[in-house]
Amino acid sequence: MQKRIGIFLLVVLVASLSFGTLQAQDAGENVLIGAFDVGPGGAPQVRPYMDTAGRTWLAKIWSTLVSWNEDSTALTPQLATEWTPNEDATLWTIKLREGVLWHDGEPMTAEDVKFSLELAYHPDAATTFPSFSQLTADQFVGGAEYLAGEADEIAGIRVVDDTTLEFEFVQPNPRLPFSLLFVWVLPEHALADLNPADYQTTDWFHTVAIGTGPFMHDEFEADQFWALVPNPNYWNGKPLLDRLINRYFRDATAAVLALESGDIHFTYVTADVALRMQDNPNFVLYSGPSGVTNYLIFNYRNPAFADVRVRQAFLYAIDRQAIAEAVYDGTVELVPCISALPALHPPAEELNDYAYNPDLARQLLEEAGWDSSQTYEVHTYYTDQQSLDALAAMQQFLAEVGVNVQPVTVDVPTYNSYFYSGEGWDLSYRGVGATLVYPYQFYMTGGYDVTSGDTLMGPAFPELEAILQEAQSEIDEERFVELLQDACAYQNQNALEGYMWTSIRFGVASDDLENFYWFPAQGGGPYEDHPELWSVGGND
Amino acid sequence: MFKYLLRRLILSIPVLIAITIIIFLLIELAPGDIVDYYMSSEGQMTQEAVEQLRARFGLDQPLPVRYLNWLGKVLQGDLGFRFVDGRPVGPLILQRLNATALLIGSALIIGILIGVPLGVFTALRQYSFWDFTFTGLSFLGISMPAFIAGIFGLYIFAIQLRWFPSGGMRPVDRTPTFFDSLYYLILPASILSLQYIAQYMRYTRFSMLEVLRSDYVTTARAKGLPERRIIWRHIVRNAILPVVTVIGFSIPGLVVGAVFTETIFSWPGMGTLYLDAVQGRDVPLLMGMNLVIAVAVLLANLATDLAYAVVDPRIRYD
Repeated sequence: MQKRIGIFLLVVLVASLSFGTLQAQDAGENVLIGAFDVGPGGAPQVRPYMDTAGRTWLAKIWSTLVSWNEDSTALTPQLATEWTPNEDATLWTIKLREGVLWHDGEPMTAEDVKFSLELAYHPDAATTFPSFSQLTADQFVGGAEYLAGEADEIAGIRVVDDTTLEFEFVQPNPRLPFSLLFVWVLPEHALADLNPADYQTTDWFHTVAIGTGPFMHDEFEADQFWALVPNPNYWNGKPLLDRLINRYFRDATAAVLALESGDIHFTYVTADVALRMQDNPNFVLYSGPSGVTNYLIFNYRNPAFADVRVRQAFLYAIDRQAIAEAVYDGTVELVPCISALPALHPPAEELNDYAYNPDLARQLLEEAGWDSSQTYEVHTYYTDQQSLDALAAMQQFLAEVGVNVQPVTVDVPTYNSYFYSGEGWDLSYRGVGATLVYPYQFYMTGGYDVTSGDTLMGPAFPELEAILQEAQSEIDEERFVELLQDACAYQNQNALEGYMWTSIRFGVASDDLENFYWFPAQGGGPYEDHPELWSVGGND
Repeated sequence: MFKYLLRRLILSIPVLIAITIIIFLLIELAPGDIVDYYMSSEGQMTQEAVEQLRARFGLDQPLPVRYLNWLGKVLQGDLGFRFVDGRPVGPLILQRLNATALLIGSALIIGILIGVPLGVFTALRQYSFWDFTFTGLSFLGISMPAFIAGIFGLYIFAIQLRWFPSGGMRPVDRTPTFFDSLYYLILPASILSLQYIAQYMRYTRFSMLEVLRSDYVTTARAKGLPERRIIWRHIVRNAILPVVTVIGFSIPGLVVGAVFTETIFSWPGMGTLYLDAVQGRDVPLLMGMNLVIAVAVLLANLATDLAYAVVDPRIRYD
């Protein structure tokens, strides 16, 4: 009897093994499976307008008005083909792409754009769109009335004809195109009956999910995968793939193992994994600047950090180049200010490079009357080994000049509850997406402080604020960049924060893929990756 | 018996309510909430936007009101919606419970089927080569962290040998069959079962050795009973009782899940869901999960007490 049971179990085991393997081999279709929501740019199962990240995947189903180009250096048309301001940038005319169809065959029109924005701004929907796009409803003419419930629509969002819209603003808004990156166009004909209060709980986005993107919803298994099929009506041509599947992983290591076992074709990887895999001929490495600056931020509410000599001493004391090479294997680049974009850095002669100089650091600290008996906690939410190693190295370098710090890792809500209140922290090691449009609100009075109305770090920085305000309303692009360079120089010379480095991020794909493209854009883009051209099986 | 059961069930209600109040207070005491989870340096959260979001999640109301609102809905069978992605909590927990019960249940069964006989086997050959070998391996099984075992298992069986998939519960490119499900289950369940095998083997071995030295075994031998009968009727039967208790302790794992194994194998179970709920300060999900876990533990305790009456004729609940 026992023998029979044993034989039965063995047969079941062998059958399931061979069946599973055979099925996987027999699939034979052009199916691309990726872990598109692993890593900092991913956010599994989010819906449009709640997308703090995850836009690489969302953009496969829905489309925004504009997107980044392939390396996130310039904006490029998506559903909007032209965006033109009047002289003072208070009125923008948006031209939409003609002949775009929804997945169900209905035509997309300017009414859909107006509907989408008014849904995203509806107080009951409470989306994160206004904060992420930095385009709040009250910037539009009639926006305040809409928010107050005194108007059914936003008067400043006007449909001129099926493919033309006008956006009218209370104040000049020269940076509007960057906000259009976050405007997902949703189908009015399918969502008109949705109560805005149900926006965040409706399952429509994972069951019906009608968009204008290159792929259409097919099957969604919560926490496991989302499978799409090609959209035959896609305005840029029907995709070549038979299916595009996003698999969800809770852990980046698990995704790497899945890639190495051949179960998936693509995933984001950390720098150490990228360095390990870069010489493997079976994989193709993708890399790009993260656009994220890692830095130490000082809370000026603590008088110890209000002295510029102390902050400069921090920069002289830490051998940033040594950490970049020893801890990060050269996959980070030092930054002179908050901006991660080299284009926003002024010429080197206007910058202090803060080369490693512990003697100068000691001298500055002595002049500032630094109290070496104090130990300050450095809050961080980073848990990856490289960040923790970098922090340990910083701790060691600082200790050598008489500055005692203690890194403390906490989870994101805990970190944010302290950080954004301005209270309960002295020093913080963090990362910020630092490009053309943010995080300049950090230095503005009332820009991001949720408690006292100060700047995030405490005091006002009138000189910097004046530069940034001028930049915000500057229409001329060249002058805008010049002003941001001025802001960079100011930050650098005053060691406003302890600027460290910006990292390179990596993705790895199987060499079976054809025309595949990935870029580590912040929040996942959206950026131009032409998924309609992707294909599998090039290397068989 | 029925009266006892009814009394225990009624007594469980205030215990459950007390548990939910304590959990609600603990969540409140933890720094940060769902709005802090959403805060980002790439956004511009004004005071107004923050308040709007807090109101959207009902966090603008006083603590007792929030608790009573939650309790009121639970009594109507509504566990609410998950903060982070707006999914209904009840069906989500049910879905994750199924996945966890399948994974841990399988691992437990493998653990019992292999661990207990191995314990018997090694105890009967104390200090032999096999005893040292399996006892040594059991140390390894108990002390190896689940994520190390998981990564090793994946590396060998999924990457090098490619016998099993690297994770997930089902194939993503076709409708799963029974064999598919089994194919995805074998590796994580086997890896997870290692600790159960080691644990049950050691308990069984220990318990067997205790019984082996008892007087009634010596008596049985003196009576001239066949060795086979002594082992199975007198030793194993008596030695197995403490092992059953240990196995009983593993039962709540069927509801709680196994965080590390679930993470490494991308198995959508209760362990990782709980972790996500804590990290997102997802109050409805945390409360829903704690309620389910508390009910499961209370019912398991009740079932254990009732089982005693069945196993031991001296115990009666009248």
